[in-house]
Amino acid sequence: MSSQLGLTVRLSLAVFARHYLKAPLQAGAILLGFILAVMLLIGVRATNENAVRSYSQATELLSQRAQLILAPVAGKKVIADSVYIRLRQAGVTQSLAVLAGTVTDSKGQRWDIQASDLIAALSIQQYQSKSNDTAKPAKVSMLSSGIPLAKLLSGKPYILMSESHAEQVAPKGILELEGVMLSVISVSDEFGLGNAILMDISLGQQLLDRPGELSYIALFGNASQLTAKVSQIFSQQSIKQFELAEQDEGEGLTSLTRSFHLNLTAMSLLAFVVGLFIAYNGVRYSLLKRQKLLVQLQQQGVPQRALLIALFLELFGLVIIGSVLGFILGLQLSHWLQPMIALTLEQLYGARLLPGLWQWSWLYQAIGLTFVAAICACLPLFNALAKQPLARSSSRFEQQRHAGKYQRILFVTAIGLLTLAATLFPFSRDYQHSLILLGVVTVAIPLLLPLSLQLCLSVATRVSRNGLWQYAVAESKELIAPLSLAMMAMLLALTANISMNTLVGSFEITLKNWLDARLYADIYIRPPNDKIEATQTLLAKQAKVSAVYGQWVHKSHYQNAPISLMTRDVHSLRNSNQMKAQVDNLWPQFFEGSALMISEPMAIKYRLEVGDLVSLPEFKNASQPPLPIGAIFYDYGNPLGQVIVSQHTWQRLALSSSPTSIAASYTGEIAELEHILQQQIPLSAAQMYNQAKIKQRALEIFKRTFSITLVLNSLTLMVAAIGLFSACLMLTQARQAPLARLYALGVSRNQLRGIVSLQMLLIVLFTCLLALPAGALLGYLLINKVTLQAFGWSIAMVWDWHAYFQVVLIALGASALAVLLPLYWQTRKPLITSLQQEAL
Amino acid sequence: MNRVLPSALLISFITVFITACSPAASPSTGMGQLLNGNAQGYTPVTPNVSLQFPADHMAHNDFRQEWWYLTANLETESKEQVGLQWTQFRIALSPPSAQQTDRQLLANSAIDSSPWQTEQLYMSHTAITSQTQHQAEEKWSRGHQSIAGTQAEPLTIRQDDWQWRSQSKQLFPATLNVASSDFSYQLQLDTTAPFQLQGDNGYSVKNAAGSVASYYYSQPFITVTGSLVRDGKREKVSGHAWLDREWSSQFLSKTQQGWDWFAIRLDSTSTLMLFQLRDDTGEQSHFYSGRRMYQDGRGHNISNQQITMTATAWQQTPSGRYPVQWHIQIPSENIDITTTPLNNDSSMPLSIPYWEGPINISGTHNGMGYMELTGY
Repeated sequence: MSSQLGLTVRLSLAVFARHYLKAPLQAGAILLGFILAVMLLIGVRATNENAVRSYSQATELLSQRAQLILAPVAGKKVIADSVYIRLRQAGVTQSLAVLAGTVTDSKGQRWDIQASDLIAALSIQQYQSKSNDTAKPAKVSMLSSGIPLAKLLSGKPYILMSESHAEQVAPKGILELEGVMLSVISVSDEFGLGNAILMDISLGQQLLDRPGELSYIALFGNASQLTAKVSQIFSQQSIKQFELAEQDEGEGLTSLTRSFHLNLTAMSLLAFVVGLFIAYNGVRYSLLKRQKLLVQLQQQGVPQRALLIALFLELFGLVIIGSVLGFILGLQLSHWLQPMIALTLEQLYGARLLPGLWQWSWLYQAIGLTFVAAICACLPLFNALAKQPLARSSSRFEQQRHAGKYQRILFVTAIGLLTLAATLFPFSRDYQHSLILLGVVTVAIPLLLPLSLQLCLSVATRVSRNGLWQYAVAESKELIAPLSLAMMAMLLALTANISMNTLVGSFEITLKNWLDARLYADIYIRPPNDKIEATQTLLAKQAKVSAVYGQWVHKSHYQNAPISLMTRDVHSLRNSNQMKAQVDNLWPQFFEGSALMISEPMAIKYRLEVGDLVSLPEFKNASQPPLPIGAIFYDYGNPLGQVIVSQHTWQRLALSSSPTSIAASYTGEIAELEHILQQQIPLSAAQMYNQAKIKQRALEIFKRTFSITLVLNSLTLMVAAIGLFSACLMLTQARQAPLARLYALGVSRNQLRGIVSLQMLLIVLFTCLLALPAGALLGYLLINKVTLQAFGWSIAMVWDWHAYFQVVLIALGASALAVLLPLYWQTRKPLITSLQQEAL
Repeated sequence: MNRVLPSALLISFITVFITACSPAASPSTGMGQLLNGNAQGYTPVTPNVSLQFPADHMAHNDFRQEWWYLTANLETESKEQVGLQWTQFRIALSPPSAQQTDRQLLANSAIDSSPWQTEQLYMSHTAITSQTQHQAEEKWSRGHQSIAGTQAEPLTIRQDDWQWRSQSKQLFPATLNVASSDFSYQLQLDTTAPFQLQGDNGYSVKNAAGSVASYYYSQPFITVTGSLVRDGKREKVSGHAWLDREWSSQFLSKTQQGWDWFAIRLDSTSTLMLFQLRDDTGEQSHFYSGRRMYQDGRGHNISNQQITMTATAWQQTPSGRYPVQWHIQIPSENIDITTTPLNNDSSMPLSIPYWEGPINISGTHNGMGYMELTGY
């Protein structure tokens, strides 16, 4: 029996293979879907994983972050290395001495170099990996590394560089810096050195001519224990040798990063779904075409089971071929995407991207996922086939009736999903939950499409003129069923595109407005502590300086999380903050010290509202009672919460009286003032920021962060367009006979072309019409739920008609191409061939 | 934020590097790689060199490896048996001849010398073992006059805050201070017994051919008092300790993979040092060596043929499977004993994994001691 089953399965497969050989378009369409789905999935995955790997290995942002930094005291650039020795002698060995500096080569080019105690770095790593995984012995040996430790530690002129960087700047393995010929030890790019030049401290101090000096010392471990220990070690020191700074920026940035990747993953899944739509469409079409063949096979004694097994095997084969091709293309895609991410990461997070890496497991997972998804999608089709009576009775009407029922089921499901999302959304407070609900809405929207299109076309039929055009519109309704899947994919892509455009556009406008209000002065100066007074005096003396502003910042904590406590001068306080909410009569209350202001992200994180009482550790020290929140102001991009108090309150809290930064309005050329400050104080260019530069840089970073999202978005749209193209192609193939019949009845070729174009135009336009509210809805949810909850940023939603029409045009262009090309081929064929299609 | 970047970068860089380059970090090659490497350029160990004290207590940078090795069998006030181990290793990264060339090279390259320059790498291990617990910790440092190395007066052997500090140029009396993340101890060490020179006046041969050797002396009779902090609880301890000092440029021959080493206190006035160097290739037989030592300074070597030792029980630990129980017979010394570990799992899951812990002795003699098993 089983051998007979095997035989019939093999026979069926052979028949299917002949079928595809005769109709390569069908196999091509299915493969295309799988390839596109897997390509985008793998492309984004490789990009994402690589980026995440880069953070974790190349930055302090994640696991390997130093908890405490010993920085030079204010006004000084260095710490004595005796501090580091003292720490080690006292047992603070999870510490790393770092000296950073700039050197010049023989051509006068400047290079940043970093020097450190390499052995300390290694032992910290060993310790950290051990405490992360205590069960396993540390399988690390300093002696088994291929790195020439002997040369590095003995201060010999050897430096470490990544392979690709070394190839670029020192192809001969030699780099001359500060007149010293340095041998370059190039190490694999995977080690995450990026463009850094690394060396041992024994060489670094000599090369920079800074013997006995360090830039800072990084400490690892529990921050509060370390603080206590360090203060105990240096308690008898009369001169302050360093400042203790807790590292606190990690958390905000990590969540930003996480959300960034979540965003990318969501986009790739969307693209995967769109790709699957295409594949499903292909499978459906090929089954439809083979309906007769399958019945014939059964009639000739091929058991149903054999037929089904053969169909599954065929699908599996196609999935494997499609996935492998998609995998290869996906890696290539990731290769193109990565430079884009690399820029963002380097600018925004200071992370360096590691060279590409991929795993076979991704391929297996992609095959698995695609196969499961394909099975789920095709199961109803196979099932329907299996139930098909041998005496073939499924007439055209039967199919159509089924389609109508099917459309209604989809519509009801969509309404159910939307209702569910609408009910749950008000309760979602966490952006991750909101994202899930957003996913539900995203799935529901395309399900609405078939019935909506049907209704729209019914209306159109009623209003259209009699005759050929009415026939054309009425026939469009018949096309919905075969085209609906491609249109659903298109709708999904359109909707995602519109919503993302809305988010990015709105965000950009909000950010610009906020920057305009926030950056009211022309120049911002951050002088070292000992030069603050001189800077203030100098600014006051300048005739063209119309106003001088100050900002005082103090690091504090609220509910154990670091925040900034700050105050500004009266003018800045009144003019630089855009309020989200405020009490009536805010300013009198605020200036007399009976209210404070907090930033929006802080308000959202701790669910604070205007009127709530806030107290900080500094308040308790100065026996200041808690103050009510007088206002909540907008703040974008700052990972720390902010609390602003009046100068009056600031003095009562007995905080530092010298400002952290100074700003000034200047009526002349800014460069002129910068020059004066550089000459007379003297300040370095790095301590001054002019307003235009800050704005430009902020927007630049912003654009880069979102550029990858937009690229993925366009890719998804492209995939959808390809899907539409393949669906149209197959549809026109299928319609050869009816169109030929019309031609035989006397409809001219031009009229035929007009009819088909009109039909497609109607369907695409109605789809775009549905994409409009759907995109707006998704955009609204992205802005007002996800972004607000994830970052605490309110963004005013700005609808961009220009962007909307742009995507509509793209959709129309894609479908025009998809219709006209096959139509052109077809209408040029001899009439009889087309008419014969029906019989075949 | 950017300021810290380099440090993290550095760490991550080295991590990837060493993990990527250490496929050979399996236990059997770990110790071998450390101790049978190329000795060329280093000062060779030759017979008929008389050891000089206190100079030889200090580091010998022209030899490839060296260690100061203290093991102690102690008892707390509540009569709990506790073992302590402290070892400071020195590893030279390049032979002295190369160091010389480097200096010339530097002199030519306009770079001055820096106190950070070093050819020495230090590694310290410490462990505390009770019947129920065994904790071990490791430390790495570069050689640096104020961080890791030795100092003549008062004689100090230090790595960071782990320090042996004598009151004079001599090794004893001294205090030993060690603080790891899980435990710490402070011991007062003293002795009246003379040093025991192992092998031929301190020249200790490590294989039958006599091609591999070390300079080796011991102090098996140290009295210890002090205190110990475990789980935040301070306890007074007292007992006996044993110091081994050894330096060489090649400890093992190419075919030797590891050793089983015993420091046994047979009774209050006599001790036994015993080791077996295993030849895992089967080309050579195992090499045995031992010395019977008395408190008054007397002692005699026990030759290869007189020693029979057999493992009688094995223990699987996270870092390997070790022969933890031994039957040792030395008829010429009238010794027939069985050693049993205080804690079967005294494995040291460190850069180079090994087993080291206190043992109890029964048979012709009843006493305590320490056992070290490497290369498994």
